[in-house]
Amino acid sequence: VADMTALTAAVEAGDRHTATRLTQEAIDAGVGAQEILDAMTTAMTEVGRRFACNEGVYVPEMLISARAMKESSALLEPLLVAGGIRPEHTAVIGTVKGDLHDIGKNLVGMMLKGANFEVVDLGTNVPPERFAEAAREHDARLVGVSALLTTTMVGMREVVEAVHGAGLDGVKIIVGGAPVTDEYAVEIGADGFARDAATAVTVAREVLAGGAGGGA
Amino acid sequence: MRHRDRVAMALAREEPDRCPMQISFTPEFAQRLREDLGVRGTLNVARGGEHNPHGGGNTYELERAIDSDLILTSVGWANSYYAGRGTYTDEWGVTWREQAYETKFGTGHYTEMIGHPLAEDAALDSYLPPDPHRPELYADSERVVRQYGDEYWIVGVAVTTIWETAWALRGYERLLMDFLEDPDLADRIVEIPFRYHLAAAERLVRMGVDMIWTGDDIGSQKGMLFSPVTWRRFFKPRMAELIARLKGINPDVKVAYHTDGDVSDVIPELIEIGIDVLNPVQPACMDPAEVKRAYGDRLCFWGTIDEQRTLPFGTPRHVRAEVLERLRTAGRDGGLILAPTHHVQLDTPLENFWALVDTVCETSYESLRTKVG
Repeated sequence: VADMTALTAAVEAGDRHTATRLTQEAIDAGVGAQEILDAMTTAMTEVGRRFACNEGVYVPEMLISARAMKESSALLEPLLVAGGIRPEHTAVIGTVKGDLHDIGKNLVGMMLKGANFEVVDLGTNVPPERFAEAAREHDARLVGVSALLTTTMVGMREVVEAVHGAGLDGVKIIVGGAPVTDEYAVEIGADGFARDAATAVTVAREVLAGGAGGGA
Repeated sequence: MRHRDRVAMALAREEPDRCPMQISFTPEFAQRLREDLGVRGTLNVARGGEHNPHGGGNTYELERAIDSDLILTSVGWANSYYAGRGTYTDEWGVTWREQAYETKFGTGHYTEMIGHPLAEDAALDSYLPPDPHRPELYADSERVVRQYGDEYWIVGVAVTTIWETAWALRGYERLLMDFLEDPDLADRIVEIPFRYHLAAAERLVRMGVDMIWTGDDIGSQKGMLFSPVTWRRFFKPRMAELIARLKGINPDVKVAYHTDGDVSDVIPELIEIGIDVLNPVQPACMDPAEVKRAYGDRLCFWGTIDEQRTLPFGTPRHVRAEVLERLRTAGRDGGLILAPTHHVQLDTPLENFWALVDTVCETSYESLRTKVG
């Protein structure tokens, strides 16, 4: 019998070898793709919670958990496609124009994937209009923008304007990065602010549900 | 009072005439300041005359004009920042790319890493790091000690000592994962910059610098980047060895440790291994007054002026208020070198910059004692 609890534990521990082995065993045993996926997202939710609450999970722990899930879900991908199982939400993410610092953005991407979002990663140094184009192209309802620097952070306002200016009214924008604050997010008209990658998932869900995304 | 005496007093936890001050700049801000001051001479003996935020090669025209008490001279990988335009590869094999940004004061540039020579495991076996014993690396520092040592507090800069150079060699996320998945490999990588910067710092101490500025960014906005357990495994013993070796050469030399972010979890251990000065104490991450209350009897501070909001986005009144607040708290009874928490960037209004400089230079410790509040 495939052990979904053990798969959750392996992803949580960042043990990619065990996680991929258990995933393959579960597939071979005929466990449903959704059930296997849920075991992984359960793990990533816990990793995110421990990161946000400072309970022994730091960036390295988060990275290896995310990689364990990535490699395991790659095995699952054909089944998900065959079963027509699609993520509920699509998010477009990137760092603001002029900013090449992407660790924060990458962590947000990993945690969103861990929460079963489809993530379109535009990479670094992304022009404002590119966010709007990609949101339209991928029918994404969420745009996530990251900045490390005070000199580039100010470009986030242009992303908000570009997305709104493109008539994408249903698209929500969340922002984050070291110098970014809740007040700044409000000032530029963003829908939400997340102080770290784990909180970004919570904030994303809140803004998509129509609530205020003031993640602390 | 001589600049160096002012710093020495502050680091002995006594109140000098005023709080000592140090400010570094990104190249474009330095150029703006040069024009503002009417400085005619070049700012650096190399780099096409462009200011080096870490000190190496600077003529120190700006530093002296603003009445800085510290003069920085740098040897090591940190000199690779702003070392070229376009795309360039430094002598460690790290590839960099110039990245422009716009501010209301003009276009600036950063240099960012895009290529890491040890990205593949196999590259480590044949990797030859640069030689830290080349005499030409130290010629400029010798000039600085000779020319300014009588008047200024000379800081030998060997920052990006272990972690930052190591991740430049390996890749950021890659090395973070190595810490957990392949600690032996991680050890071999972090050893490379550690040995280099240890040799450089030792030589700078022998040359007579007053303080070594070491460190790595191990904090994030909300806590440690990696766990204290990881820090103890890879970094604490090496940093302890470095400090012991430097103090073995000169027991009076001071050691400052740089890290951005919130590192409250390891401050007691930094003190334990012999750090004298913590830099830059970002107020958006750690409350300088609180850190002073907790550790001020054992640790001095260098920095504390916010670069994430106050300097770029505040007004001269905000800047002045923050400086005075710091002088009364983190600077109480000495123990503080006031400085921005990063090189002043192009997005900073000159009025804010001068509010910082003028408030420090015009506020005597005596006046703080006599004023109510």
